[in-house]
Amino acid sequence: MSYYWQYGTLGALTAVGGAFVVIAFLGNRLMRPRKPRVEKATTYECGMDPVGEGWSNTHIRYYLFAFLFVIFDVESVFLFPWAVQLEKLRPQGTVLVEMIVFIGILAIGLLYAWKKKVLEWVK
Amino acid sequence: MPFVAPHIAWHGIAPELALVGGALVALLIDAVKPAVDRRFLAGLSLATIGLAAWFTFDLRDTRAVIMQGTLAVDGVALFGRLILLITAAMTILISYHYLSRRRIHRGEYYPLLLLATSGMTLLAASNDLLLSFLAIETLSLALYVMVGFARRDEKSQEGALKYFLLGAFSSAFLLYGIALTYGATGSTQLSVISKQAAVASVDERLMFVAVAMIAVGFAFKVAAVPFHMWSPDAYQGAPTSVTGFMAAGTKAAAFIGFFRVFLVAFGALQWDWRPVLWIVAVATMAVGSLLAIAQTDVKRMLAYSSIAHAGYVLIGLVAANRDGVSAALFYLLIYAVMVLGAFAAVIVSAPGGSERLSLAEWGGIGRRYPVFGGAMTLFLLALAGLPPTSGFTGKFLLFAAAIKAHENALVVAATITSVVAAFFYVRLIVLIWLQDPPPDDGHPGIGPTPALITSLGIAAAATIVFGVWPQSLIDLARNAISHGFVG
Amino acid sequence: MIDGIDVLIMVIKVLVVFGFLLVSVLLTIWAERRIVALMQQRIGPNRVGPFGVLQGLADGIKLFFKEDVTPTNVDRSVYFLAPVAALLPAFLAFAVVPVGRGFHIGHRVITLHLVDLNVGILFFLAMGSLMVYGIVLAGWSSGSTYPLLGAVRSTAQMISYEIGMGLSVVSVVLWSGTLSTSGIVDAQSGTWFGFVPRWFIIPQLPALVMFLLGGLAETNRAPFDLPEAETELVGGYHTEYTGIKFAMFFLAEYLHVITTSALVVTLFLGGWRGPNILPFLGPLLFVGYFLAKLGLVIFLFMWARATIPRIRYDRLMHLGWKVLIPASLVWTMITAAMVVLPQEVNRTTLIVVVGIVFEVALIVWLARLTTTALRRGRLRRGDSHVV
Repeated sequence: MSYYWQYGTLGALTAVGGAFVVIAFLGNRLMRPRKPRVEKATTYECGMDPVGEGWSNTHIRYYLFAFLFVIFDVESVFLFPWAVQLEKLRPQGTVLVEMIVFIGILAIGLLYAWKKKVLEWVK
Repeated sequence: MPFVAPHIAWHGIAPELALVGGALVALLIDAVKPAVDRRFLAGLSLATIGLAAWFTFDLRDTRAVIMQGTLAVDGVALFGRLILLITAAMTILISYHYLSRRRIHRGEYYPLLLLATSGMTLLAASNDLLLSFLAIETLSLALYVMVGFARRDEKSQEGALKYFLLGAFSSAFLLYGIALTYGATGSTQLSVISKQAAVASVDERLMFVAVAMIAVGFAFKVAAVPFHMWSPDAYQGAPTSVTGFMAAGTKAAAFIGFFRVFLVAFGALQWDWRPVLWIVAVATMAVGSLLAIAQTDVKRMLAYSSIAHAGYVLIGLVAANRDGVSAALFYLLIYAVMVLGAFAAVIVSAPGGSERLSLAEWGGIGRRYPVFGGAMTLFLLALAGLPPTSGFTGKFLLFAAAIKAHENALVVAATITSVVAAFFYVRLIVLIWLQDPPPDDGHPGIGPTPALITSLGIAAAATIVFGVWPQSLIDLARNAISHGFVG
Repeated sequence: MIDGIDVLIMVIKVLVVFGFLLVSVLLTIWAERRIVALMQQRIGPNRVGPFGVLQGLADGIKLFFKEDVTPTNVDRSVYFLAPVAALLPAFLAFAVVPVGRGFHIGHRVITLHLVDLNVGILFFLAMGSLMVYGIVLAGWSSGSTYPLLGAVRSTAQMISYEIGMGLSVVSVVLWSGTLSTSGIVDAQSGTWFGFVPRWFIIPQLPALVMFLLGGLAETNRAPFDLPEAETELVGGYHTEYTGIKFAMFFLAEYLHVITTSALVVTLFLGGWRGPNILPFLGPLLFVGYFLAKLGLVIFLFMWARATIPRIRYDRLMHLGWKVLIPASLVWTMITAAMVVLPQEVNRTTLIVVVGIVFEVALIVWLARLTTTALRRGRLRRGDSHVV
């Protein structure tokens, strides 16, 4: 009940935001001047005529960081429910040790990446 | 909602903990001290495997389902661990020299091997479809990297990419099957699924699709026809030691998982899946044997031969009785040993640059190096299933189990394909012994090292001993399944 | 039960939040320009309205009447959607921030909190990550080199700092034992020794520092504004955007600053809590506290922009991965260890002491890394242009 109410409220806020965007775009369409010229619609290259496609390959380093990100982001997702319950689980003792082991394994991964110079931007 | 921390029976997963722990330590040592002597890492890995074996031995009298019903500690799981730990240890023995020779002796090899082994042992013991999936992913991810371990070798890269793409594809099948099973029965635990699948209210169509999907997933991993496409390329491209590890270890682990899932969870549906797997088994044996004839590369030939062997092991699953399981366990162990022996022989065949991969290069090698030629001959005879080798005993047990299950046609088909398969093994034996060695072929000699000799010796001894006096091992395999699967 | 009046209250709250955000963006833009100008001994905008306070509005109106140029090389649908994708999450993130104490009208309780999700913090972090989509899509769909580079840089930067930010939130969650934002504010009620407020800034000072660093990087603000580093990448991901679409990105960035600051207030500065010194003001006093704290944190953002030069990209990644993430992992574990300590131990005193030690160690480490990087950089002068 309150669940749907809350997310409904969020939905209402989304709707208001969406309406704002729609109104702004529509109003802009009505108000703005429109003087199209071919040069205007070219890609911005600091005044030079653009050469080739704008899409290019990016360096593999970005990929490696994305890879590490997935690991550690998922890790922090696992940490949240544990963090909420930790105080209540205190009598069961080992919960902290277990999480330290889990984080430790991932930290070894980070250390490995570090030592293999994955984290160096300039080689 | 109160949260209750689960009870964890640490001793039940001690072998896997040892393997993972060893892998992490090896990884750390390699990362912090890249110049570390590889002998140290190899020794550490062997010690880890020894520790895991000790923990496994410690579990020998335990029969339980632990970890909230996800992990079985039973005879089959223990026997599976036995096979896999032997495989891993022998792989390390045959890898050491080979990797140095190819200049790909990077330290990550050992952690990857240990992690793959831990995934395999978990798969052999998994009593829950989700754990099976995780175990398969653990072993596969490590193996993808290991197949591509020769970074500068295009074939290795090609094999790794093909293995990765098709492996990911098969994982999707498996996962979809697991999801459907969960939808139909409300559980991923094998024993619960088996109870639910037997009741009339279960949605049969959903179950059929689920079983088919899961069968496809496992068939990919064991390289059964028509899902065998990746294996020749991956086997050929991978570093030879990795090929041996895959042929022996992945196959054994995936088959044990296959057996457990189909006999425990889907046992009630066996009248539906047995005919399908019958066809798959025959097709696997036939395609593997026939295509192996056409190969001129030793590793590729062994890859097709390993497909054919997957077909033989499937006989044990189609038989769907205890004899079938024990025969398959026996077969997986002796197959692991002999195929590792065969790949060790391929590694020994050249000390310097490239191995003798093309069949022509093996001509007359037995006349020049009789002991080496004899060992290779022995493994080939065992792969062909001729007496007095362990291969014969293994096939005999599988056929006996099938006859007991009244699958006579299957036995006839298997016998015919065995004859076909014998052709290409014997052809290589003929090449080794009956051709004159070229006067000066420019080839260097063969390159045994103590580790390689040890592994060759163990493999050869095991192949003969379990061929002539197989009874003790047969008893062990029978004991493993004598009380059925737990759970 | 929910009746019409509840719906009415909800609608009013939604509109008020929305209006508040828009107005505060305009004020923030103006305040930033004035404050930065003051710090740089300039005057800043002072023409439109009293003290130039309407400058933001004037800029917005100007952009509204500007021609909208869509380059021929763009991927049209994505190009159109990207500003929306950047804007909406920024609006939504504010919804979980409690802005004041609830009050009664008759028997009805009015909470000054748009929604009190039980996973409020996660919702905020999720919305923060969604903002990346707007930037990536904008950069990619522009079909131009500068925006693409800006977008890829920005993505790498945001995901790197998101981890450190998320982990610093974990330690706050550990300390308060709840994911709900109002729960966290409640956990900060009361005082130590009768006058020191129980705000998490005291036991969780390292987490605050890491959260602020992450927040600066997440919002692409100076000194982490590399995605739009104009000396290298023209305008960054929004180079090809004009008119109202550009205004959307501008709005989104400032909204992000405001919501992040609001979360800093909620997590570390006791939210709307404060001494009830002027009881006749009722709930307005607490809204005032909230706004004052919010203004303070936003001021910190501006101060950083005026004071600290832009950090080089390799150093940015260095800081994120080699300092922020390990430090936040260690701090999370320290906090967890404090939480599981037996009740008899005075864990707050302990964590304050440990926190100060940790903070000093962090700064020493950072200084050492920086000096070694500087030393190396001096040897390799000439390749400072790092993409």
